[in-house]
Amino acid sequence: MSARTLRITLIVLTLLGLAVASYVTYVHYAGIKPACTAGESCTKVQTSSYSELAGVPVALIGLIGYVVILASLLAPEGERARFATAALTVGGFAFSAYLTYREVYSIHAICEECVSSAVIMTIMMCLSVWRFLRGELTPVAPAGAAPAAPSAGAESAAPLGSAS
Amino acid sequence: MTPVESDEADLTRKERREQARAQRKAMEEAAAASAVRRTRLTQLGIVASVVVVAIVVVLIATGGGSKKSIPSTHERNSVVNEVSALVGGIPQKGNVLGSPTAPVSLQYFGDLECPICQKFTLGALPTVISKWVRTGKLRIEYRSLETATREPEVFKTQQVAALAAGKQNKMWNFVETFYHEQGEEDSGYVTEKYIQGIASQVTGLNLAQWTTDRGDPTLATQVTATDAQAASNAGFNGTPSFLIGRSGGTMSKLEYSNPEEPGFMNEAVEKLLKA
Repeated sequence: MSARTLRITLIVLTLLGLAVASYVTYVHYAGIKPACTAGESCTKVQTSSYSELAGVPVALIGLIGYVVILASLLAPEGERARFATAALTVGGFAFSAYLTYREVYSIHAICEECVSSAVIMTIMMCLSVWRFLRGELTPVAPAGAAPAAPSAGAESAAPLGSAS
Repeated sequence: MTPVESDEADLTRKERREQARAQRKAMEEAAAASAVRRTRLTQLGIVASVVVVAIVVVLIATGGGSKKSIPSTHERNSVVNEVSALVGGIPQKGNVLGSPTAPVSLQYFGDLECPICQKFTLGALPTVISKWVRTGKLRIEYRSLETATREPEVFKTQQVAALAAGKQNKMWNFVETFYHEQGEEDSGYVTEKYIQGIASQVTGLNLAQWTTDRGDPTLATQVTATDAQAASNAGFNGTPSFLIGRSGGTMSKLEYSNPEEPGFMNEAVEKLLKA
């Protein structure tokens, strides 16, 4: 997967997560019932005492998290930006894991929006960690030729990290 | 050595030097790449460690077990709105919800700490209330039967608190709020503070009067003698249990398989209305 495709995929996933988090945050503040196919379980989760952390709705924390991840993805491509995305998604994944634990073991109900966000965050973490570990893609020079100038999205590129 | 042989020998030496240089360069690049990878893995490891510590702190701060904590302000507001929407505007008198002239009567034997009663109260009861009670066809009497509550004294205290709200015709608001915010069974969550918290969420309840009424000995008698005897007479030993019949007539047991589905109650009410 080229660096450009990977970045776009991550941006699309972030926007999806952002949409879910925005909806749940709206539901929380509006005090309305969330769209749910599993009866009252979404309402049970989203009105439980675990829906807030130190008085801040977890939905809002998620929303802010997605916005910061999006900013790291829109920043100029580089080692630092890739590290920021990877670190943020690792944090997001751990937070999602904590919330899922609360749903299953403390609230005994599952919220579809929360599960969607957790799945999105898990995929994002895998992709962004892979993106960070493989680093900048450098093109392989054809045999006997001088090294070509780097070009974004070169499919023949070899990951720097895999050179060893 | 001819000039040609000398050139060939030079070329071979040159090639060897270049090969050695290329090999050295490749090894250096590989070592550099390996070092970069190690650095990245270390960075991610540090991030993961920090995140794990943060989550453990959050888990400890929010309670590691499954015991429910005190409801949030948002949760409480949501419950108050839900309960008001459910029973608001319906006549209440003591432990009875519904019109006094309703043709069908239901007695609901419950324990405020019983999780199955909660399932019934949050699952099937809202439909029954909106379909039959609000329309004046059914009246529901809430009666107590100790099952899930382990301590008889706690059972009496919470039930008397509900009946005291009934003296202001707000018992159903109290009972509904209690079930909405019910805690983990056997976790000892029902404390004086918890009961006060439930009462404070009952819209329009005069708390000073309610506190005085909690000391009324007739309410304690109703819990420990009247209701307990009625449940015993009916042969009930589990909650929720129901007696249903034409108002003023004979009451009979109402069996159910799924307390969350209102079907069994709808059928019984329809049958009695036709009788």
